[in-house]
Amino acid sequence: MFEARLASSATFKKVLDAIKDLLNEASFDCSDAGIQLQAMDNSHVSLVSLNLKSDGFEKYRCDRNLTMGMNLASLSKVFRCSGSDDTVTIKAQDDADTVTFMFEAKKQEKISDYEMKLMNLDQEHLGIPETEFSCIIKLPSGEFARIVRDLSQFGESIVISCTKEGVKFSTQGDIGTGNVKLAQTNNFDKEDQSVIIDMQEPVSLTFSCEYLNSFTKATPLSNQVTLSLCDNVPLVVEYQIPDLGHLKYYLAPKIEEDEN
Amino acid sequence: MNKRKSDEYTGHFKKYKPNGTTVLYQRPPILHIDPAKDTFIFQELELDNYVGNVYPGMPGPQSGPVPIIRMFGITKEGNSVCCHVHGFSPYFYINLPTTFSNGDLGPFKDKLNEALINDIRGGNRDGITDAVLIVEIIKGKNLVEYHGDDDEPFAKITLSQHKFVPAAKRLLSTQIIYQSLSNHNFQFFESNVDIETRFMVDTNILGCCWIELPPKTWYERTDFSAHSKTSRCQIEVDVAWDNFISHAPEGEWGDVAQFRIHSFDIECAGRKGIFPEPKIDPIIQIANVIQLHGVKEVMARNIFCLKSCAPIGHAEVYCYEDESKMLEAWAQFVRELDPDIFTGYNINNFDFPYLLERAKHLKVQNFDFLGRLLNVRSQIKETTTQTKIGKRMYKTINFEGRVPYDMLLVIKRDFKLRSYTLNSVCQEILGEQKEDVHYSIITDLQNGDEQTRRRLAVYCLKDADLPLRLINTVLSFTNDVEMARVTGVPITSLLTKGEQVKVVAQLLRHAREAGYFMPAHQGTPAQEQYEGATVIEPARGYYTDPIATLDFSSLYPSIMIAHNLCYTTLIKSTIMKDKLGLTNDQVTSTPVNSLFVKSSVRPGLLPHILQHLLAARKKTKALLKDAKDPVLKAVLNGRQLAYKISANSVYGFTGAQVGKLPCLEISGSVTAYGRAMIEQTKQEVEQHYTIQNGYETDAKVIYGDTDSVMVNFKVKTLERSMELGKEAAELISTKFISPIKLEFEKVYYPYLLINKKRYAGLYFTKPDKYDKMDCKGIETVRRDNCTLVVDVIGTCLQKLLIDRDPDGAVNYAKLVISDLLQNNIDISQLVITKELSKEDYAAKQAHVELAKKMKKRDPGNAPKIGDRIPYVITAGNRNAKAFEKAEDPIYVLENNIPIDARYYLENQLSKPLVRIFQPILGDNAESILLRGEHTRTRTVVTSKVGALSAFTQKKETCLGCKSVLPKGYENEAVCAHCKPKEASIFQQELCHHRMLEDRFSELFTECQRCQGSLHEEILCTSRDCPIFYIRKKVQMELDNSKKKVARFGDPLAVEEDESSNQDIF
Repeated sequence: MFEARLASSATFKKVLDAIKDLLNEASFDCSDAGIQLQAMDNSHVSLVSLNLKSDGFEKYRCDRNLTMGMNLASLSKVFRCSGSDDTVTIKAQDDADTVTFMFEAKKQEKISDYEMKLMNLDQEHLGIPETEFSCIIKLPSGEFARIVRDLSQFGESIVISCTKEGVKFSTQGDIGTGNVKLAQTNNFDKEDQSVIIDMQEPVSLTFSCEYLNSFTKATPLSNQVTLSLCDNVPLVVEYQIPDLGHLKYYLAPKIEEDEN
Repeated sequence: MNKRKSDEYTGHFKKYKPNGTTVLYQRPPILHIDPAKDTFIFQELELDNYVGNVYPGMPGPQSGPVPIIRMFGITKEGNSVCCHVHGFSPYFYINLPTTFSNGDLGPFKDKLNEALINDIRGGNRDGITDAVLIVEIIKGKNLVEYHGDDDEPFAKITLSQHKFVPAAKRLLSTQIIYQSLSNHNFQFFESNVDIETRFMVDTNILGCCWIELPPKTWYERTDFSAHSKTSRCQIEVDVAWDNFISHAPEGEWGDVAQFRIHSFDIECAGRKGIFPEPKIDPIIQIANVIQLHGVKEVMARNIFCLKSCAPIGHAEVYCYEDESKMLEAWAQFVRELDPDIFTGYNINNFDFPYLLERAKHLKVQNFDFLGRLLNVRSQIKETTTQTKIGKRMYKTINFEGRVPYDMLLVIKRDFKLRSYTLNSVCQEILGEQKEDVHYSIITDLQNGDEQTRRRLAVYCLKDADLPLRLINTVLSFTNDVEMARVTGVPITSLLTKGEQVKVVAQLLRHAREAGYFMPAHQGTPAQEQYEGATVIEPARGYYTDPIATLDFSSLYPSIMIAHNLCYTTLIKSTIMKDKLGLTNDQVTSTPVNSLFVKSSVRPGLLPHILQHLLAARKKTKALLKDAKDPVLKAVLNGRQLAYKISANSVYGFTGAQVGKLPCLEISGSVTAYGRAMIEQTKQEVEQHYTIQNGYETDAKVIYGDTDSVMVNFKVKTLERSMELGKEAAELISTKFISPIKLEFEKVYYPYLLINKKRYAGLYFTKPDKYDKMDCKGIETVRRDNCTLVVDVIGTCLQKLLIDRDPDGAVNYAKLVISDLLQNNIDISQLVITKELSKEDYAAKQAHVELAKKMKKRDPGNAPKIGDRIPYVITAGNRNAKAFEKAEDPIYVLENNIPIDARYYLENQLSKPLVRIFQPILGDNAESILLRGEHTRTRTVVTSKVGALSAFTQKKETCLGCKSVLPKGYENEAVCAHCKPKEASIFQQELCHHRMLEDRFSELFTECQRCQGSLHEEILCTSRDCPIFYIRKKVQMELDNSKKKVARFGDPLAVEEDESSNQDIF
């Protein structure tokens, strides 16, 4: 038996919005520790890693490890039926081929439940080993989304260069070039609006705009985003989900040859 | 004869010694014949002309260079013949004003003669005095338009050489040659006919017919005669053009001589990854297979090899240490063999050019004397031609007297296939695979020992064998001989020229007999379009009742006959009609308002030709019925087919706007009549077969197209439906003008009507058993589809029509879709092939992009222009275009790249599947097929390449429930929950493993059988062969499965397993 009750179905909905661009279907691995999802996008360029800790749920029960394959388009249809301040309960039997979502409206006496057919996904489980990073940049997630959106108008890829002074995002394309520089802020009063750079050594790496843009779909989840960079290692874009866990995206840097 | 020392070569292998100990390949010796007493008969095969000197005692001009026709052929005994025909001069006609009298002939001739001689480029070096031989007034009629029954005067201008024909035409139309004709509007007739056609028409020679030279009319050339031999033919004779008999191919003259067919194939030792170039890469083997036409057994097989080669059971092996010596010996062998027909696969564009260029590079003297003429070298020329296949660049090589009959061209002309590699053609036509050795490993085999070279030789011989087997199976040569006879063109032009020459040749023959002159049509294609055939809107559905089909037999020819539609009966305007004083009863006005006189006024020439063809076909079919001998049967069947095709091509000829003589009034009227007739048939059937008239039900015409109507009589049995069909055909035939005839041919039962021109049904001509499954317009041959589509559609149709099991068909389709999503479909079924041609660079195309990608990966093995590139569509980014997702199937296999199942489902399978199931499942078809329960199990494949794959680590999952194994337990096979079931899970995996092993060894054996040796390594990398892909895939699955089994950690089982695997890899 698996049962998990989340106070805000809106949070789950946001998570869903943040991954459904990259993945068509995905396996949710449920265990005592919580719900995990790890999958590469279709073209094997980026990897999505979601971790929802069991503590973050109002109620969490998982008798045995369980993998539920779901079509994300169908799943988001289910969540479109939930109200913004509904609670959601996810339920599944141990060997079931369906999963049930129950939405309870807080103020009204309304309970709705949706049963969705599961998919049987035969998939390898992948992980990325922890590494040390040269630069870890924290910045407001909205700012990051804005920068990526602006720069992707000009070119197909963005260079992220990080030095002591700050971080520079730049691009070039047929119509010209674009650069955005962010300096480290000293305003520690408002933590979610500050730019904090933790640098061991400077790096400069190139990434595909398209994927970065997909990652910023997670912006509503968190005010802050963390970018971790290091030479020859995938970029990690991490959004903390308050009290619940995190959503991480991994993206391999572009190598010069690839650009042609 | 040149004697060579057997110098550097001292091996114990046989060498081919020309004119030496063996008479194995020579033609039978000549019987003595005496021109004074004997009749000389031979079958003509090839025909050309040359300009030569006057042969004394022959007709025609007696001085200067003259055109001489040369015919090549063989006698009944199999002796080769070269026959020079003298005295034939080219000519053409012009129209004349009525003022032109006999008195003008002489001066006009002199003026034209003078103008022509002055016009000779570079001056009159040959001292020609008579360019114009004769100008005479001939009465006759223009072929185009009815001008009344009176003959008009035409001038026939006979010239000494064919090159003066276009010159005379140009001079007459641009300059004032003769004062009294200065205002004359010249029209030219038959000036665009080449001399060979002219000659054949005038002497009644058909393609491949028997020629008889009566005693005392011919002269033999011998070593002692005044004119020495010019050819390598055994017999060479001279004859006057008007002194021989050409026999129509009927009765005793109907058979075909035993032409020598020489099929060959060469192998070159290329460098790694570069297509062989004649300037650099040597020819290492030439395999030859010789067969006599009409004889079942092969006459001889041999192979010429560079370096030693172990003996081969079924072929003579000749070895050489030196490539030049080998080429020289081969050329000598060909000359001695004296074949009539060269065949092979792609010899015109590869083997022959390569041989010639290589020999030139190595300076092999006398290699290029491959034709029958003593002093003419074979040379490569590039030409463009327009044929049914489309516009193409050809390499043509002259082999005077021999016919290059490249099977690649024949197959391309006669068959519509997905791929034209020899391998896939053999699979389609002969139903068997051949191993495909990639050219990059040929060199390795050559550099091995005599056994590896033998291996290559066996492969090479097979490639020479297959074209012959193709000829014998598709009977293309037999059919082409008959086509040449029916249409009266040389057999060579059937491969090198288009459809039109055949109609022109027939038109000329008949026009000549009837006193018509064919205008030399000039002009740009008109923009006007005429309406095509009609289609009755189909009533779509899956009919389980028998559906009777009524066909108009030879619809277009019979319309032309019935309504007397012809060039000669055309009246351009009503004014013309009035001027000629024709009444309305004498003229037919067609549905598109064109006017033609009725046959009572003047029977048309085209109807005459068509009647002749249809009658001849009927006669041949009757003969075919009685024929017992399979060879004769094949000949007769080829002939009746030729008659049918010829009759149908007449309509096309009148409609070909860039043709020799287009006439849209005719073709437009023909289709208009056709449309009206289909409509009328529908009405008649539906009016007559009603309950009111005493029939069981109201009949309904559910579909009709061009020349057939499908009728649902709504009866339940085949017998009754056939009965009604026959009755209806007879009844309705009476409503049309003879010879238009409606025939009942077949019943479809059941019948799946999908759309216009798309239907399938089980075809019955007799009630007890179906003849075949008939499918029209359903994805079976479209080349941009993968074979999966073809297979699925084929199986579904089979289930629908033969098994009558719609549910089974639906379930099958679902199963395939589910397999596709689970990555269980063999990659060979997903391969799409397209040819890489130069012009493709404008828009991005999948195969072009892939070719670039492959070039970057491995420049050596990258595809080249002209190659067919196989590719599969791999999973990619959501916004990626199909062309970005194309990938080499082998690369996909090796790197485990995921296939884009969604692409195959949505872009390949969904439309055709939904189409055939819509009549059964209704509008739900799409939802049932594409989104049902069966689509919920998927396999997600993890690629070995891709930007992230270098960083990811695979986490082991439980083999039982697929959940991730917790830390510290990664090496276990199952998780704690599945532990109790471990034994059975292990059994399952082991079972699967054993199954894969069996599968792999089966596949391996299959390939060993195909290569014909069970104890040699498999070299084949045929990308057309499904086995190859399956073998690769199973090999990889086996690898994975081995690792899985190993996780259970049972040392005994693993050891046993690994030892057995080791042998296989």
